[in-house]
Amino acid sequence: MKALALAIVVLVGGLLVSATVDFPDWADPNSPASRHVSPRYIEKTMEETSVPNIVTAVLADYRGYDTMFETAVVFTAGVACFLLLRRREPRPGPSRVYRHRATGVIVEMNRVPDKEPSPDVFKRIDDDWTPHDLIVMNVCRLLIPFIQLFALYVIAHGHHSPGGGFQGGVILGASVILMALSWDLRTAMLRMKETATGLMSAMGVFIYAGVGALALALGGNFLDYAALSPLLRVDPVAARSLGIFFVEVGVGLAVMATMVLIYKNLASEGRLDQGL
Amino acid sequence: MSEQYPALIVITPLLAALLVSAAGWLRPRLCFPLALAGLGAAAAAATGLLVQVLATGPVTYRLGGWEPPWGIAYYVDNLNAVVAALVAWVALFNLVASYRAVMTDYPEKIGPYYTLYVLAVTGMLGMVVTGDAFNLYVLLEITSLTGYALIGLGGGRAPLASLNYLFLGTIGASFYLLGVGYLYIVTGSLNMADLAKLLTPLYGSLALLAAFAITLVGLWMKMAFFPLHAWLPNAYGFAPAPTASLLAPLMTKVMVYVMIRIMISVFTVEFVLQEVLVGQLVVWLAVAAMVAGALFALGQRDLKRMLAYIVVAEVGYMVGGAWLGNRLGMTGAVLHLINDAVMTFCVFLAAGCIYQKTRGTSFEDLRGLFKKMPWTMAALAAGAMAIIGVPPTGGFFSKWYLIRGGLEAGHWGFVGALLFSSLINVVLFFRVFEIAFFEPSGGDDSHGGHGGHEEHGGAVALAEAPLSMLLPLMAAALGLIALGLATGPLVQKLILPIIPAGLG
Repeated sequence: MKALALAIVVLVGGLLVSATVDFPDWADPNSPASRHVSPRYIEKTMEETSVPNIVTAVLADYRGYDTMFETAVVFTAGVACFLLLRRREPRPGPSRVYRHRATGVIVEMNRVPDKEPSPDVFKRIDDDWTPHDLIVMNVCRLLIPFIQLFALYVIAHGHHSPGGGFQGGVILGASVILMALSWDLRTAMLRMKETATGLMSAMGVFIYAGVGALALALGGNFLDYAALSPLLRVDPVAARSLGIFFVEVGVGLAVMATMVLIYKNLASEGRLDQGL
Repeated sequence: MSEQYPALIVITPLLAALLVSAAGWLRPRLCFPLALAGLGAAAAAATGLLVQVLATGPVTYRLGGWEPPWGIAYYVDNLNAVVAALVAWVALFNLVASYRAVMTDYPEKIGPYYTLYVLAVTGMLGMVVTGDAFNLYVLLEITSLTGYALIGLGGGRAPLASLNYLFLGTIGASFYLLGVGYLYIVTGSLNMADLAKLLTPLYGSLALLAAFAITLVGLWMKMAFFPLHAWLPNAYGFAPAPTASLLAPLMTKVMVYVMIRIMISVFTVEFVLQEVLVGQLVVWLAVAAMVAGALFALGQRDLKRMLAYIVVAEVGYMVGGAWLGNRLGMTGAVLHLINDAVMTFCVFLAAGCIYQKTRGTSFEDLRGLFKKMPWTMAALAAGAMAIIGVPPTGGFFSKWYLIRGGLEAGHWGFVGALLFSSLINVVLFFRVFEIAFFEPSGGDDSHGGHGGHEEHGGAVALAEAPLSMLLPLMAAALGLIALGLATGPLVQKLILPIIPAGLG
């Protein structure tokens, strides 16, 4: 069976590779992909959307509809994880954590001990105990604000430099996950509650689709940011640039919240009580 | 407003899904009304679009105001207008029907459940109306992802079945994407109409053949065309009832639609059917699908799993019809696509009603159901008649076209397999009805908890499914007969104009 599977894989792979002889050469400036749609993007982007970064313009304006659904895919992944993983019932077999009063050594037991140790010797601390490391915790505490500031920069600067909502959103989400890793899930949850996470992830996509629907309501086609110009009091080309900024903010919000939502559910087996 | 219909079909359910998600966190009681409003608006827009397309011809919609091929465009003709209306209405009816089941089974998670439900429908509608090959892939991702989650929610082995589906579905979607990538390399375009123009001078190139083949295999994987069907029976068999009655009727049908769209709108039928041998081979695969689907179905002892294998056979009907290479076959395939969506919905919803009352769909659970649930069983019988192909249900007429197409193509294997699978369907459903009609409902079996206190042979209490499930079920059953009676206009006005002239 394995030999057969290998034979099929080699055969199909060979066919696919042999089909590439009809492809244009690498970096051929006359290849169809470089001659058909690209020239307009390269020559007209600035004039039509006033966005210097062509990639951002194609991603969020010319093909912005695809990107809206890519954001929806991210959101869907988050909701799917929540639907399948989230559990309300508490952890079976609670673990116990004790601190030896004399030495400060911490003992964690995976199950409830048959006989409770003497409270004079061992103090039960599982309600407030978290594993911690002084250096890691404080370095992260110092770093996280700067990471978040950088994330906002990446989101806002997508027009001019590599970046945008997806990248910035990932950095923002990573900062919250870093907090959960270096401190603990509970600390991260205090700063970003479950409901807030879920609402933000829906709101991010809603901002994107809402900007599109607003354009539709103002008489343009869906996602035609130029239709927003009377509302924003700028000319239609500048309205496109601003529209891209709005949807990038939505993307960033959705990506950040979804990452955190998925992390919380995965790290704690859907219980959100403790975990990494 | 009417020029915005194509956008509204997709946008209203998308916005509704996001509002449902927010309501799930804040006011769970609002989830269902919001989902209902979103899908209702989508169904209304789809109906409006269908009327508009029939009156004035194909509609193009530019998203973002950019003209294709630089931006993304929707292109809607008779074919996708009717499939979109079908998807929207079936999803709406199923939403109403699943209200009770979702409330009792997942009271804690109605927010995410309805969010994913509406998103799945959004994805399917988007796939149907789009005229952009890559946009189709993005929406395919949404539909697949929601499908995996909605299936994995079921109990027992559902998570494993869903994981299996995830692996195979991802491979299928990646194949499609790879095919689109090949097309982009050789043409530089993603818009379907533009691709059709640019591809004509390239026919005969090996890269184009590879692109077509790999796209096709990817789609077959997603529609569970034999022998790529392995994921389907478990996925639909173990899925929660409301999910099964959403995905089983619609998902495979939407993928068949996409296959036909790629065959006639991106490529041309001349290109697709240039190698007679390849066409024959695909039809023989369809023959294998029909025979294997029927035989596997015979081996099942559970209603839902039996129906899942029937879906495998039905996919064979449509793919085979589309590849027969004549007008009758293609007409039959499109007509069967419409009928099959409604009849699969009817029988899966009936199975859902049975599950709601007996908490099981194995053959033991069906005993005595004609007395306990006469309306449900009547609808199941109507669905079964359509699947078997008894007039005046729609199933008869689409099979009629398919058989005539097979005869005209001289493909006796296809005709034989179609008749064989219909005969097996007779056996399958009459076995079910025998159990449900003659065997007394078990009072002494180990299932307990349901019908346990009824006397053998005595008066059996009526235990019918709730009205919110029965009414959509009745609508589906009546719809089957209505579709059958409307076959003439359906074929003349709707289907014949879109059959490409190249088909003999």
